[in-house]
Amino acid sequence: MHALKLFERVIARPLIREPARSALTLAAIALGVAVVIAIDLAGYAAAGSFRSSMETLTGKAAFEIAGVGGVKEDVLAKLTSLPLPLRFDARVEEYVRDVKSGATVPLIGVDLVARAQRGMVLGEDASLSILDTANAAWVGNDLGLRAGDPLQIVVQDRLETLRVAGVFADTGEAHGPNRAIVVDLPVAQRLTHRAGLLDRIEVSVPESPLARQGETSIRQAMEAVLPPGVELREAGANMEANRKMLGAFRWNLRILSGIALVVGAFLIYNTISVSVVRRRAEIGVLRALGLTRAGAQSLFLAEAAAFGLTGGALGAVLGLLMAQAAVGVLAATVNALYVSSTPAPVVLGVGHIAASVALGTAVSLVAALAPAREAGGIAPVEAMARGRRDYDVQISASRFALAGLALILLGAALCWLPPVNGRPLFGYLATLLLIPGTALLVPAFVKALHRATRRRICSLLGVEAMLASRSLAGSLRRTSVLVGALATAVAMMASVGIMVGSFRDTVMLWMDTQLTADLYLRAAAPAPPGASPLMDASVADAIEALPVVEAVDRFRTVPIQIGGLPASFGFGESRLMLPQGRTHFLPGENREAILRKLPTGPFVIVSEPFSRKHSVGAGDTLSLPLPGGAMNVAVLGVYSDYSSERGTVYGDRHVFGSRFPQRAVTNIAVTLKPGIRLGEGARAVEKVIAGKQVLLVENRALREHAIRIFDQTFAITWALEGVAIFVAVMGMAGALVALVIDRRRELSLLCFLGASKRQVRALVYYEAALLGLISNAVGLALGLALAFILIYVINRQSFGWTFQFHWPGWLLAGAVTLIYLATLASAWFPARTAARLNPIEVIHEE
Amino acid sequence: MLKVRLVREAQGANRPNGNLSEPPGIQGSSMAVLRMVKATKRYRGAADESDTVALNGFTYSFSEGEFVALVGRSGCGKTTLLNLAGAMDFPSSGEVWIHEQLTGDLDDAGLTRLRREKIGFIFQFFQLLPTLSAVENVELPLLLSGASHPRKRAMECLEWVEMGALAGRMPHQLSGGQMQRVAIARALVHDPKLLLADEPTGNLDTATGDVVLRLLRRAATEQGAAVLMATHSAESAAVADTVIRLRDGVIEDVGYPACTR
Repeated sequence: MHALKLFERVIARPLIREPARSALTLAAIALGVAVVIAIDLAGYAAAGSFRSSMETLTGKAAFEIAGVGGVKEDVLAKLTSLPLPLRFDARVEEYVRDVKSGATVPLIGVDLVARAQRGMVLGEDASLSILDTANAAWVGNDLGLRAGDPLQIVVQDRLETLRVAGVFADTGEAHGPNRAIVVDLPVAQRLTHRAGLLDRIEVSVPESPLARQGETSIRQAMEAVLPPGVELREAGANMEANRKMLGAFRWNLRILSGIALVVGAFLIYNTISVSVVRRRAEIGVLRALGLTRAGAQSLFLAEAAAFGLTGGALGAVLGLLMAQAAVGVLAATVNALYVSSTPAPVVLGVGHIAASVALGTAVSLVAALAPAREAGGIAPVEAMARGRRDYDVQISASRFALAGLALILLGAALCWLPPVNGRPLFGYLATLLLIPGTALLVPAFVKALHRATRRRICSLLGVEAMLASRSLAGSLRRTSVLVGALATAVAMMASVGIMVGSFRDTVMLWMDTQLTADLYLRAAAPAPPGASPLMDASVADAIEALPVVEAVDRFRTVPIQIGGLPASFGFGESRLMLPQGRTHFLPGENREAILRKLPTGPFVIVSEPFSRKHSVGAGDTLSLPLPGGAMNVAVLGVYSDYSSERGTVYGDRHVFGSRFPQRAVTNIAVTLKPGIRLGEGARAVEKVIAGKQVLLVENRALREHAIRIFDQTFAITWALEGVAIFVAVMGMAGALVALVIDRRRELSLLCFLGASKRQVRALVYYEAALLGLISNAVGLALGLALAFILIYVINRQSFGWTFQFHWPGWLLAGAVTLIYLATLASAWFPARTAARLNPIEVIHEE
Repeated sequence: MLKVRLVREAQGANRPNGNLSEPPGIQGSSMAVLRMVKATKRYRGAADESDTVALNGFTYSFSEGEFVALVGRSGCGKTTLLNLAGAMDFPSSGEVWIHEQLTGDLDDAGLTRLRREKIGFIFQFFQLLPTLSAVENVELPLLLSGASHPRKRAMECLEWVEMGALAGRMPHQLSGGQMQRVAIARALVHDPKLLLADEPTGNLDTATGDVVLRLLRRAATEQGAAVLMATHSAESAAVADTVIRLRDGVIEDVGYPACTR
């Protein structure tokens, strides 16, 4: 009770007396927390929903049986004849587009008769008699259809019409909208042109001691009847691999979102430091009156906790609003790069509120530890001291610089370490060490800068600039913390700017080498990332026969799994790569020799991400899972590729096409004869594909689409950077207000010495200007270092691709100018406060 | 007795307030650096309190080279008088003339210019900027007014207060007496005609205080500045030409220590 009273009198009252400064600090911590919570909420909503789409009607299977290009139906017959207590559920899966809503929905073929026999009827109004009707479908209740309604869907390159037999409700496992379309197995096979083929067979092992003990023998028995190319694996392995990749994506975002919180921590540190310095005399009195050292510390920790608790609670609400704004963008990225999903509603649970408050409090407390310790060290004798004690406790710039250098060197050393479980943990750690390491170098940097400019600054910029410069150099600790906060935000902006700019430029160059044809075609049906819907190969034949066409590349890509990781296997007309494509291989590899050899036998080339993920390079042999069994292929080279972080294995169509039962393609690239105009060629091709659900895209449009996806992927990153900078600038405004309050004696004295109000205002603006200048300089240097880590360590270890370093000069110049102007603008209120000081009151207070 | 009369004549026939028949300006005392005519300063009290009258109808004319000590208990109006005299505040009623300029007629820029050119301030706690060296502190008023060659003039002033050797030292490297000497140099650097000192020896030991008082005396005699010093110390006041004793915002008594010496 007494402690509360003390807190109210010593801490709370002064905070209430300075509402602007208190509000700015609170807003900084609230925003920092909000960003972290928003990213988590939005990430969960965007990614969490993918469980519900293709996993609809998946049971609690122990294993699944799958193979590249599908599993033949007779495998199911062999399995069911095994004398084992197992249940087999065959599935055919495909993404289709619901014409009415335009939504991408999963089409799932299951054995409805078997399910009905087991009592698993889809929906109350379902009747198995409908099975007598062709094209009967059960739909998820979120599609908004009723029994008897027609249902038009785009499957691969065709438009099909089904009839709704029943509507089923959420199965309870789902996290997103229930939009799946379920059809009987033969219907699905017919719709997807997979006659006699299954995509997966789920294997359920009933709960029994026997089953548990005999898992190995059960596996062996099943594997004995599986044909080559078909494998038995843990259920959900594919989804699990996708989840892992999505997890890495969300992890990267989380790390980025934490930057705003780090900036907020700097500002809490500054706020509590100012509180301690300002109340030294009061604390001295309290200590003289019997307050213990721990009591003094607790007071300031309580102040930090109050900021943290309130900021955390506000952050939760703000986080919810931000998440609602971000979920659409995030879901679009998840859809484009990882899995097909529909964003689930953003829900702020009690757990998130608790996490938000805990995060705010923890960060605030950690940031306040050092200043609170300083408060504990205030001696009672200070109560007797008259006059103002300077804010700045002397700090040893050289000692700090040494510690900073040590951290930076340690960070640099960590960059050489390999990833842990595919995650660049040491890269992240290096980033985290570099930030405080640079902050510790700031005092020495400011001192050196001050020494270098002290003789010239007055004649160059005037007495106000000289006074501002002295003030900054004289309050090294405060200056360092402020520079640290703003520089961190600038550095993250610069590093992400450099990384994204470099990546974008590299992708543009790469597209020049890859997209050399004039027209591209693919089936109109949607597809999950890493896979493409099939198209009838006769389309390619018809196009090839057109007089305007020079060459047609028939390309097919199939999802494969190698070493438990998802990848893609693609094959096309590799002979076209030599004259047309400009595919880049890793340094030291002979492009021409590789491409000449590729169509001559069981040879492949692999993409850089694949090479890094699987540690495969030129000269290695790879066991490639294909229909009919794995095939040992020789890797001829590693090529640059930015289309998929999963990694791609590429071979020639004439070598590998025969292993696939269907003569289908996923993409067609058309090169027109010289002199044929694009419009003319496109019209000729359009005639061929008339009536088919095939998309025709011109080269330029395809590039634009790719860049749009690229930009959309990084939109959220920019938003995060923006918030971090906003927090820093806001913190700067708060710190400048504090600075004015702290230095009101000096500012008032200047009025006595003949300074005009304009000069006092100018002094505050110069302080902001110099702080902004130093922060931007330090931030850019730190940003450059972070960019190297992002590009050459984190990105390479996370995604496996290398891109050329590119300095996006205009972007950085624009951003830095904007930040600088924002910093100057943040001085408006403090400058006004300074100009309105009453010098008489201030001087006589002392 | 003759000496007393001569001094009083030289000071422009000042009278305790209420006894002045007409304002000094009308009397034609053109040598007055500062004239205060029925200057009154009221401070608004809290809701349930009446206004506080810090200075009540103060009338006096301060001449070039005159060293005046303001004495009286705390709250008698000394500091208020210095604020009005320093163009830092306006009287609630009455007039304050500084070098024949009525402060009430000036805007903020005009007041600032007046302070820059005509007035020097010395404070009890020295009020040196901790981030500036001694010489930088001294040249600060010149820099603020945009004067040319400020360093040369600042060094001259430091030499004048015998602090030239310590010009490069930072305030925390100086003793209290040294800091006050630097503060005096700063107050004199722009040749002010009016030097206002608020308890300049209040924070110093006797010996150091004496040095400071001698400097103020020299400022009045050698530089011709009117020195107006608020002090609690009778010893300090004894150095002045004129001692004005204030009580509850009005002049209680005017004495002339020099005449009694």
